[in-house]
Amino acid sequence: MKSFDSLSLLEQLQADTRQLIATATFLKNEDPSILLEQPGAGRWSVIQVLEHLNSYGVYYLPALKNGLMNGDAAVNIFRSGWLGNYFTQLMLPKEGRVKNKMKAPKDHRPAFHVDAQPVIETFLQQQHQLLELLELAKQKNIGIRIPTSLTKLIRLKAGDTFRFFIAHEQRHFVQIENTLAEVRNTTGKFQVAHQAG
Amino acid sequence: MPLQQLQQFVSLIYPLKEKEWNAFAAIWSPLECRRKTILTAAGETERHLYFVLEGVQRAFYIGDDNKEATLVFTYPPSFAGVADSFLTQTPSHYFFETLTASRFLRTSYRQAEELMQQYPNIQRMVLNVTALALKGVLVRQAELQCFSAEEKFRTLLKRSPHVLQLIPHKYLASYLGIDPATFSKLLGSKKI
Repeated sequence: MKSFDSLSLLEQLQADTRQLIATATFLKNEDPSILLEQPGAGRWSVIQVLEHLNSYGVYYLPALKNGLMNGDAAVNIFRSGWLGNYFTQLMLPKEGRVKNKMKAPKDHRPAFHVDAQPVIETFLQQQHQLLELLELAKQKNIGIRIPTSLTKLIRLKAGDTFRFFIAHEQRHFVQIENTLAEVRNTTGKFQVAHQAG
Repeated sequence: MPLQQLQQFVSLIYPLKEKEWNAFAAIWSPLECRRKTILTAAGETERHLYFVLEGVQRAFYIGDDNKEATLVFTYPPSFAGVADSFLTQTPSHYFFETLTASRFLRTSYRQAEELMQQYPNIQRMVLNVTALALKGVLVRQAELQCFSAEEKFRTLLKRSPHVLQLIPHKYLASYLGIDPATFSKLLGSKKI
């Protein structure tokens, strides 16, 4: 089974989270009408994608916190579980692209929003909570199991839950990038660079 | 070896006695990062102080118009991180990232703070480091307000000619607050 140096893994996940914070900061300054526009019938706007991600944060951030707070002290090596590793690989964009489309479960389908800013603010707050949890996790054994949002019967290791949760966000940020490009094209608005480097 | 580089750097700023140096040397651990790794995000409080052994990093700000302002570059040998957030332990307004693969020594605020309490000379050394950084910031502040694009460009090349080889030009343009196209034009017009 795939194993990681626990500290390096958590630091890499923190760096990934900070990248999401940087990209979301660029979104904060984007024209709200662009962010709220659906690129096609039944397809999500950028804000709906963020709302979808926020709905997972509402479940996983407290779940991770509870698990870690009650957990044991850190161990050097983290051994990924087979299911946790599989879910992470399933979510992760490959070479910056997403080919395997999925359908969101009912209770994670976002409502329609009229106000973009609060959704972005919530997303940013959640990412900062996530950074704090990853910091807390450096002191804890991340092999402790956390129930998934799908069913309490499936429990993934905290280390895998972090990996899977962040990979899911990265996946949807590819979608956000594509949606922005599409919406800007159709509205003919001036394009603003939104990603560093 | 890395500790020797740190010792040499520190001794030029404020020489420490053997006991002080030994205590100071003990708080650092090595860290390696790939290029474009964000080590501190805006909104986070800077937990670490870095000493750069290899690579180039920058601190940058994302403005309301989504313009990126590059505030500072760091490369060996120097301390790095978001200095104001580290010293005040308040949330950073800036991002700190590696531009190239980098190697550091790193310590935490808690450890550095403890040593500063215990050893007045370590506190003085940190004050000197901060003072030199402040000096650099004010010089740059004056240049940003008073100099034309061309003057800023010429001053940079005179003061730090090596950065042209070291740092991608789009970041140098962002650092000077000039358009990347203007930067290329100035570079083209200059005999090197």
